[in-house]
Amino acid sequence: MATRVNPEFIDDLDRFGAEDVKMCYQCGDCSTVCPHADEIFKFPRKSMRLLQMGLESKIETTLEPWLCYYCGQCSEQCPREADPGETMMSLRRWLISRYDFTGIARLFFRSRIAEIAAIIIIALITGAFLLYYGFTGGNIGIYDGEGAFLPSGFIHRFDLTVGGILLIFLVINAFRMWNFTMLKNTSLKVPWWLYITEIWQFPWHFFTQKRYAECEQKHEHPVYMPWLLHLGLMLGYVTMLVLVMVFVEALQSGPEIIWEVHIFGYLASAGLLAGTIYFIRNRLRKNYIQYKKSHGTDWVFVILLTIIVLTGIAQHVLHRTGVYEWANYLYVIHLMAVVPWLLRMPFCKWSHLLYRPLAMYFAAIRREAVRRQETILNNYPVFVK
Amino acid sequence: MRTGVFFCQGEERKGINIDSVAKYSANLPDVETVQILKTSPPPDIGYLAGQIKALSLGRVVIAGDFPGYFKPVFTRAMALAGGNTAEVRLASFKEHGARGENAMDRAKAIVACAVMGVPFPLAAVPGGNPVNHATLIIGGGIAGIQASLEIANAGKQVYLVEQSGTIGGHMAMFDKTFPTLDCAACILTPKMVSVGQHEMIRLLTKSNVISVSGKPGSYKVKIKQKARFVDVKSCVACNQCTDVCPVRVKSEFDAGISIRKAIYIPFPQAVPNAYLIDETSCTYILTGGEKCGVCAKKCPKECINLNETDKIIDVEVGTIIIATGYEFLDVSKIEQYGYGRYPNVVTSIEFERLTNASGTTGGRIVTKSKRINKKTGTEEWYFSPEGLPPRSVALIHCVGSRNKKYNPYCSRVCCMYSLKFAHLIKEKVPNVSVYEFYIDMRAFGKGYEEFAERIRQEGTFVVRGHSASVSMKNNQMVVKGEDILNDRLVEFEVDMVVLAVGLVPSPGTAELAQMLGIPRDEDGWFSELDYNGNPTDTDRGGIYVAGMCQAPKDIPDTVAQASAVAAGVLKNLTSGKGIGHMSSIPLSEIEAKAKKIQIF
Repeated sequence: MATRVNPEFIDDLDRFGAEDVKMCYQCGDCSTVCPHADEIFKFPRKSMRLLQMGLESKIETTLEPWLCYYCGQCSEQCPREADPGETMMSLRRWLISRYDFTGIARLFFRSRIAEIAAIIIIALITGAFLLYYGFTGGNIGIYDGEGAFLPSGFIHRFDLTVGGILLIFLVINAFRMWNFTMLKNTSLKVPWWLYITEIWQFPWHFFTQKRYAECEQKHEHPVYMPWLLHLGLMLGYVTMLVLVMVFVEALQSGPEIIWEVHIFGYLASAGLLAGTIYFIRNRLRKNYIQYKKSHGTDWVFVILLTIIVLTGIAQHVLHRTGVYEWANYLYVIHLMAVVPWLLRMPFCKWSHLLYRPLAMYFAAIRREAVRRQETILNNYPVFVK
Repeated sequence: MRTGVFFCQGEERKGINIDSVAKYSANLPDVETVQILKTSPPPDIGYLAGQIKALSLGRVVIAGDFPGYFKPVFTRAMALAGGNTAEVRLASFKEHGARGENAMDRAKAIVACAVMGVPFPLAAVPGGNPVNHATLIIGGGIAGIQASLEIANAGKQVYLVEQSGTIGGHMAMFDKTFPTLDCAACILTPKMVSVGQHEMIRLLTKSNVISVSGKPGSYKVKIKQKARFVDVKSCVACNQCTDVCPVRVKSEFDAGISIRKAIYIPFPQAVPNAYLIDETSCTYILTGGEKCGVCAKKCPKECINLNETDKIIDVEVGTIIIATGYEFLDVSKIEQYGYGRYPNVVTSIEFERLTNASGTTGGRIVTKSKRINKKTGTEEWYFSPEGLPPRSVALIHCVGSRNKKYNPYCSRVCCMYSLKFAHLIKEKVPNVSVYEFYIDMRAFGKGYEEFAERIRQEGTFVVRGHSASVSMKNNQMVVKGEDILNDRLVEFEVDMVVLAVGLVPSPGTAELAQMLGIPRDEDGWFSELDYNGNPTDTDRGGIYVAGMCQAPKDIPDTVAQASAVAAGVLKNLTSGKGIGHMSSIPLSEIEAKAKKIQIF
């Protein structure tokens, strides 16, 4: 198949944040210092090269951007200040927009106004719907039980609906990713059983983010702080998601605290709060190279998350202290932030929650396949005359 | 001819007010229109063609810092409008040196010349001042030596000022020259001896220029000659003083890899061939004459005078040639290569001294050995002639060069000398693996590409890909890199790493530039008048640049430029027309001259 070159690709990526790719003169310093580059996945230089050549269809099939955790060493070293770290970040944004079949992600990444407008519209719709529902059937002074403003059963169904929509998008996108990176990438034949033998990679990388820790080893941080905070944020998020989707009745009952459930909520909140504060601080201070450039979507992410965490904690506290009316109002605001946040997930950076471990899993399969191929070639050398 | 002047100036530059130049050019004869165009986005061809046609312009002048950049657009517009494309003329402020105090007048003159269709250098010919026939040359490296020999051989007086104790400069430190692998000393030392013996050259070593006054053609120069403490005429270089001297410091000539005494001769072939005392380390001088002084007692010729003082020498010269050369970038600030942390990471000049047959190991290429410093009791690494030869060596190009954090420019010589090192290592050490890490191989000169090809064929692993990390794994140095052409990441275990360090202007360049009133470019090198047409002249008449101090260049280019400078100087001396400098010519004079030329 002929390779198609898109000369405008490099300018297109400009909007996703990679501004300095043209500066790169291919010295390979970045690949040298990258703690994750290995024999099979060599980056960031190769990705920079593909970008400069405009091989859009080829970049689409690469897993490399997902293997980068943006420690920033490459950008620190780069003699041309071409910022390979930010380029990998932008490529991830671009890949997210490729995996997304609706084109919404592309719109959001390229236009901050569209994104904010979409968020506000969804938030208003959610708010209006919840208030309408609450005032028609419930009493604003009752938080839980008979005649509640927002009964937990209703919230549960509501959550599951939102979660269902989210899941549909994510599953389709994941399949598209698999199609792009494994099926379309025909350079290597991958035996089907490797998908089964390597399946453990997915949960392993999902829950430990081990490679992020490896990233930090060369960094000056003493106890891998960014990794721990990132992990805390992710685990907090996942825990919250599970609590909301499954245990929302227990979560919402009260005013006495059900420790078996609520303890998880408190831990998750702590993780989210710590992560959020850390990100905001770094993005404002710009003290590490990976926080020097903030894309518009990064700020939307951080601000929404802050609103969610603060309103969530506040409504919980108000509920326990008996200020039911305000707890209900805050709950509505909380949900007004949560719903766009959840629905936005497949279209923003947050979806790397799924794509990254998936990429690790695919990468492991590819690595294993290459290893097998090499073994076969070594055992049965082919002589070409 | 109906003329249109278009200003395409990207960013506002200090010293040039475009509006005022535009007003001036509107009053020039034949000028129909003056327009100040935006440069981003570039001017629209259709609009320009329309303008040319509407005003029926016969000539278009593009004025600005880089008008050549917009020439294609205007040429096409001219062709579209059916005009003569040869009449698209450039008025380049940068190229013709519109800068400094007279920037405005110069810019106006440049535009005026372009409007009249007269090449600027033809109209602006400085001249007038009578010329003193003596020449001052600052810097005694190969450029200074070559220039002084050329001028002195023509029978003119030369003052050669050198700040160290001997002439020869960096070239004297080198082992071989690329690409011919000639012995550097065999080329240089005969020239040095000629300089030392020439009746028309007054050699002033350990000297600095401290002030310059006067005008082109007659400069009054004050030179401070530091005390040498040894009488050059009577010293016979018997080495007895060095034997008894108790002070041990690092040798500058050996790039710090060997030890010298406080009284020393930089190298055996030094010119003048006499010893000198380093006043910064000599015990007698540092203590004000209370301690030591054994060398003076020991000297059989009684030529050491420890109480000698600095002298001020006044000379009057007509021309000054700057040949101050370069220095190496301080590589210890580029941390990833481990220079200073790992003993066997050496800079190129250190390696040059190591492999030099007159160096500390007699030309054997060895890794450093450990010894205990008796005085301080600490371990130290040094090159011992009995050291182990390296089994593998990595040569890393572009260390600090072409790097936005250090030197954005290419140092031009590193690729070639690294290739030369690869050859020398292969030649001197049996069964050695040599790895060259390069970004782009800049083998641009005569015979250079062939040399690079030869090195490849000698079995050097030439890796296209820059290494950015030297680390230590189990007491073994490891160099990591990306082999881009073979598409793999490589990790080589090496015993020695040679860093091809970038070049920077020598330390006194800034002060000298201020003293002489010569601009420097953004990288700190001296600015020539015009890079293409006048590569040796400077803004000030009668002051020339030669060699590395203008920009990095290799030995053949340096020698060629030094000879070119000498030709320029001799032209001034023999033509009888005298010299002036560009900034002294008034605008009206250039205009008048351009008008005169226009008539022909």
